Amino acid sequence: MSLSDYIVNMKRCIRCSYCKWTILSQIKSWRFARGCPSEGFTKFHSYSAGGKMAVSLALLEGRFNYNDRLLDIAYKCQLCGACDVACKVCRYLMEPLETMRELRTKLVEDGQLLPEHMLTIEGLRAEDNMMLKQKKERGKYLEDSNVKNVTNEKAEVLFHAGCRLSFDEELSTTARKALNILKKANVDVGVMGKDETCCGGRAYDLGYRGEFTKYAEHNTEAWRNAGIKTVVTCCSDCYYTFKVLYAKHGFIKNVEVLHITEYLKRLIDKGKIIFTKKVPMKITYHDPCHLGRLAEDYVPWNGEEKKIKGQIVTYEPKKPIRRGAKGIYETPRDLLKSIPGIQLVEMERIKEYAWCCGASGGVKEAYPEFALWTANERIEEAESTGAEALVTACPWCERNFLDAVNSDGKNMRIYDIVDLVDQAM
Amino acid sequence: MSLEKDIYQLFEDIVGSENISNDEPILDSYSFQWGSELFRPNGNRFMPRPDAVLLPGSAEEVQSIARICNKYKIKFKAFSTGWCVYAAPYKEGQILLDMRRMDRILDIDEKNMFAVIEPNVIGATLQAEAMKIGLNTHMIGSGCVSSPLAAATSFLGHGPDSLFMGQAAENLLAAEWVLPTGDIVRTGAMGSGIGWFSGDGPGPSIRAIVRGGSGARGAMGVFTKCAVKLYPWPGPTQLPVEGTIPAYGSTLPKNIRAYTIAFPDWKAYGDAHYKIYNAEIGYILHRQYNKLGEDLAPAFFKMYIDPTKTIDDLEEMLEKPEIKKLTEELRISTQIVLAGMTSRDIAWQEKALEEILAETKGWKVAAMSDPEMEKFTLLYLIRLGFKGLNMVFSGGYRGSFSQKGTPDFALKYRPIAADVLAKHQKTGLIVDSGGDSMMGPGGGMGGGGHIGFEQFCFYDPSDLSSINGALEYFEDAAGTAKKLGLTSGYEARIFETRLSEEEKRTAYLSSKQPALFKYQRKIKDIFDPNDLGDDQYAVMPRDPNGLEDVAS
Amino acid sequence: MGILDAVANEYSLKNELATLLKSNQNIFDEPQILESYSKDNSFSSQRKPKCVVKPTNKDEVQSIVKWANLTGTPLVPVSSGPPHFRGDTVPSIAGSVIVDLSEMKKIIRIDTRNKIAIIEPGVTFSQLQTELAKEGLTITAPLPIRNSKSVLTSLLEREPVLIPRYQWQILDPLRFLEVVWGNGDSLRTGEIGLYSPVEEGKPVEQLAPFGPLQLDYYRLVSGAQGTMGIVVWAAIKCEVLPNLHEFFFVSSDTLEPLIDLSYKLLRFRFGDELFIMNNMNLAYMVGNDLAEINQLKEELPKWILVLGVAGRDRLPKERVEFQKKDIADISQQLGLKVSSRVSFINGKQMETFLSGFDRDIPWKITYKGGCEDIFFLTTLNRTKDFIQSVWKLSQTRKYSTADIGVYLQPVQQGAACHCEFSFPFDPTQYSQVVDMEELYEHASDMLLKQDAFFSRPYGIWANMVYNRDAQGTTTLMRVKEIFDPNNIMNPGRLFWTQTLKSERQGGLE
Repeated sequence: MSLSDYIVNMKRCIRCSYCKWTILSQIKSWRFARGCPSEGFTKFHSYSAGGKMAVSLALLEGRFNYNDRLLDIAYKCQLCGACDVACKVCRYLMEPLETMRELRTKLVEDGQLLPEHMLTIEGLRAEDNMMLKQKKERGKYLEDSNVKNVTNEKAEVLFHAGCRLSFDEELSTTARKALNILKKANVDVGVMGKDETCCGGRAYDLGYRGEFTKYAEHNTEAWRNAGIKTVVTCCSDCYYTFKVLYAKHGFIKNVEVLHITEYLKRLIDKGKIIFTKKVPMKITYHDPCHLGRLAEDYVPWNGEEKKIKGQIVTYEPKKPIRRGAKGIYETPRDLLKSIPGIQLVEMERIKEYAWCCGASGGVKEAYPEFALWTANERIEEAESTGAEALVTACPWCERNFLDAVNSDGKNMRIYDIVDLVDQAM
Repeated sequence: MSLEKDIYQLFEDIVGSENISNDEPILDSYSFQWGSELFRPNGNRFMPRPDAVLLPGSAEEVQSIARICNKYKIKFKAFSTGWCVYAAPYKEGQILLDMRRMDRILDIDEKNMFAVIEPNVIGATLQAEAMKIGLNTHMIGSGCVSSPLAAATSFLGHGPDSLFMGQAAENLLAAEWVLPTGDIVRTGAMGSGIGWFSGDGPGPSIRAIVRGGSGARGAMGVFTKCAVKLYPWPGPTQLPVEGTIPAYGSTLPKNIRAYTIAFPDWKAYGDAHYKIYNAEIGYILHRQYNKLGEDLAPAFFKMYIDPTKTIDDLEEMLEKPEIKKLTEELRISTQIVLAGMTSRDIAWQEKALEEILAETKGWKVAAMSDPEMEKFTLLYLIRLGFKGLNMVFSGGYRGSFSQKGTPDFALKYRPIAADVLAKHQKTGLIVDSGGDSMMGPGGGMGGGGHIGFEQFCFYDPSDLSSINGALEYFEDAAGTAKKLGLTSGYEARIFETRLSEEEKRTAYLSSKQPALFKYQRKIKDIFDPNDLGDDQYAVMPRDPNGLEDVAS
Repeated sequence: MGILDAVANEYSLKNELATLLKSNQNIFDEPQILESYSKDNSFSSQRKPKCVVKPTNKDEVQSIVKWANLTGTPLVPVSSGPPHFRGDTVPSIAGSVIVDLSEMKKIIRIDTRNKIAIIEPGVTFSQLQTELAKEGLTITAPLPIRNSKSVLTSLLEREPVLIPRYQWQILDPLRFLEVVWGNGDSLRTGEIGLYSPVEEGKPVEQLAPFGPLQLDYYRLVSGAQGTMGIVVWAAIKCEVLPNLHEFFFVSSDTLEPLIDLSYKLLRFRFGDELFIMNNMNLAYMVGNDLAEINQLKEELPKWILVLGVAGRDRLPKERVEFQKKDIADISQQLGLKVSSRVSFINGKQMETFLSGFDRDIPWKITYKGGCEDIFFLTTLNRTKDFIQSVWKLSQTRKYSTADIGVYLQPVQQGAACHCEFSFPFDPTQYSQVVDMEELYEHASDMLLKQDAFFSRPYGIWANMVYNRDAQGTTTLMRVKEIFDPNNIMNPGRLFWTQTLKSERQGGLE
């Protein structure tokens, strides 16, 4: 689909501003009521999903030519999907997130490139990662690990580290810990090591469909060649890309994609992981967008609008609706609660209506101040619970929280779930 | 039109460069509006572009902006959340003030039960904070995403809870108002800096020119703060919400109950309202669900609270025998929430309601009282966070007829409204939801006495034929109201904006009290001498012959 | 001016009005009649009107106002019969004509189903309540003052009503009305103004007081002391007449617990009548003579909360019973006890007193013959600070605090509180008059500085209050220019007032 396929959507936007807020029924305070980081940061309506729908329509109607402000509106957004969920509480016909994605795709197709992203994409093209690092460095985190390489050994489970965990020295310990846990649980796990490439998900978000396609084709072919049936990752971005985007664009078949939390939960349920140590800590859990509301299974649909009762818009066949109902929410929580000593307290905005960490959608790369602002909002929310630590399940979230804590001198400890599981074993 | 660079700079010096823009994408996003397709030719989704959008952060900034506007004769309008065409320019040559940065709850006076708020505070956040201390806020009909300040100072303000919590106009205490001239006036006790607790006085009230039945809809200066009354909330300090999106619900203690009550005929319906007023029961009384149409609403809401279903399941739902039965049962029905301050109180209210139902042969609809439905109804009516459902069918809706008055009065015109809508529904250009697609408050004002029936017309704003079909209906509705000597509903405004000054003058002169428009012109002449507000503030156009208007 | 000229002048005014109204039946210029309108029980300066006219319908009122515009004649509207206490019915400008509306005393309609009564300005409380009772209705009323009090004036002047939970707005129970503005225009306010006229026999169809359109016209005549226009009829929201009505008393030596109880009751919306008085004020109110007053002063506790609990036409007994129990529980939590009597006053007597508007003499002046009130709006929690200040000031001014009456009336569902101090004095004793004037002025000034909100600025309060709100005053004056461009409506009130001392020095004209 392209942006113009969404014109009908744009015209059906009612500018109700639901997209700016967390789900209205779930609001518990004035302080933590907002849902949209873009509108929250800039304060202009234009940056909300409703604003972007209007801007997209204006662009397609030729009301203005390409300009810097348009790029700013399009890209100062994590594509976190909070707007999409909030909108769909009351609307079946709307696809704000898809519209915003297609806007970016059109911009890129028309050569309207954000300079900050160009650097990242050039790096991706050259070195197969989003971290502006050399690909030969990938897999360095595995140096002292004794783990199979699936390019030349069979393994039942492929552990995909992802760009962030592969190259972020501080966070790469999460990948090592995850592998160790899996090995301790006698999982037949392997990695691609330095042959691992980017999932392509972030390129997709930036509007670079070509790059996404390239990596999707490459990865799925590599899995096929290696006989991979199960892919496990700690990175929620990669998880979402494999599970949803690859499925949506027809790249993935017969491969089960699991987030590390899902896999660990299975192992715990089977008694293959036993916690022997207490981790006495009051924590709160941040739902990564790409593990939560965005990570519902992709259900293919190819249908048409059908009006009933005069003008009621329905779809034939029935169109599945993605509104975050079936994101992965309980599994990480069950996992955390099963760790002895852990006291889990919830923030106000959680699950399908969680506030974004701030890192995704190309924001970390292009708008670092905005990314940190978003993270700080979340950290304040975590602080309001009285928790000592903010735990998440995505290295991009973790990185952005850590950067925010470090820049603001806050006291909040930041962990990945894997860190706590590791501590408890 | 665009602002001259140096004038833009003057504004920028006030609000800061990050809080002003005249970039085209920004301007267009502000001209895009719900309802524009009815006001503009060819279903245009954009109202006229503003010349700039400013985000002021204080009353002083607003004042400075107003002064510049007066100096350079620049029209300006402010909005709080900006939902609906009233928030957009009607003509070019206007700047918009988005009050987004003024979003604080400044104070909640728990003992005296009022809150002091800025324009961008929404009902949901005020309610969430108020509930923490056992209070609640009146939620206006457009839902909790709207601004209580905007409703109280600048627009209408009925809501489902008006029976208990009044209409927005009743809840307005003191206010801070930047007049179009740039002067700041504070009403009531705040005029002398005493406090927010009183909006009237000293003596005759400036409050009289703040608003009447409606406010100025942004056309007479900017309200930068106000105090609104709060009300008792005998429930938990946080609204418990459970369920899977979108089928959220709230399990509340047994002193708070939601019912859908139905009646054998409209006389009984009306009688029951009078009895409810006299019995002084009810926290919320609102015919809410029927807004989606007497033929469709029961099926829709039963579908909606099943999170595995979508709108694509509606047709199937409509065919189910139990839904057909429910549809018939609900044709003459309304929703009521009872909230007892104590267990004895709720017991008494329940008993009173039972008596009223017995006397009017009404009943509680069992299918709407199953636990899932009751939870949903409670959350829906208390938080009012599902008002986007007004547009769920096709993306477009506008209210019409909107007869408000005593139950006997409103019910007299109900069948007329139903017939006119039903006629147009047959064209297929608007949703055929059943002739009675009317929603409205059962109380209307504090203590009741007054109900409203807003007739919902649903159309597809992306489909020009549907828009035109809707416009034909609205014209018929407005014309019917005029023929009957009734005041017009929301639909009439579509056509009013198309009138020339001459036509407007003729229309106003032939209205029941032409003096009203003359008085508003006099008010405007004093407080907006440079005519910087748009025509959302209705004034008698000047006599083209240059003759001075006489008093009457 | 020679006496013949004076006679000639007065003769022509009466004639002029007689010609205008096509009758001289209701036009008065006899000296003793003029004298009776020249002063009241306030400290306002005395000034005789030129004439008194008593119109009987709206057309006559309108004719008078139009004539007044042409001739530049100040008009002073009066609806209630004497005695008056606020100064607003006394002309402040020479050559004024009193427009006494007491002959417009029709109850135009009682719409029982919609609980609306439409009345003319001369209708009194006892008249109205008697007729409403026949229909099973009542209105929420203020403390009874005197028999001749106009209901319409009471509501227009925002006198505090006894049942705060019925007041969503401070103007409640006033609904829509018809006003003849100072410019001679007439206008019907409220939703009904736009929809349909008020016709005999036709049911009321719209009863919201707002508007029409984008102004709340009725707020311009509220609290206006007749400076904007003359209301010729008004609609009032009624309530169902109680079938059962009990009254209770909660006593305390200190005020704070009763304030806490009031807040709770307001929050719960339990009870009906709700107010607090000190022992003195309750004694003045209920005591029939000096002996009773003195007895009550001795016997009554320092502070008394008076609470009415009513059952109406639906499950009245059950309502009263459950509320009694809940109120008792709430009181107990605060360490208070609810009683059915205090001293010799029982609930039945209180009910009789509060519903009896048939006193000829206001109860406040029973004790010493005269009484000055200082009242303002504040919030209930601040009242104790004001009380403390007034006590201190009275002591320094050697006014016996044992005589001061205090009346606290929550209004507008508790958002605000009418706080009233009553100072009895003997008006026949010059020294007491002088002392009272000074105390009144000093106390008013002190209270204003402590943020008392004189929302009904009578007499000297007007200057004090409007000086403090320059922007609001300017705004209001500009609005008045629209509705009374020739400033003929009770000029000299609200926006221009002399101080008491200078008035006294000026003497009678």
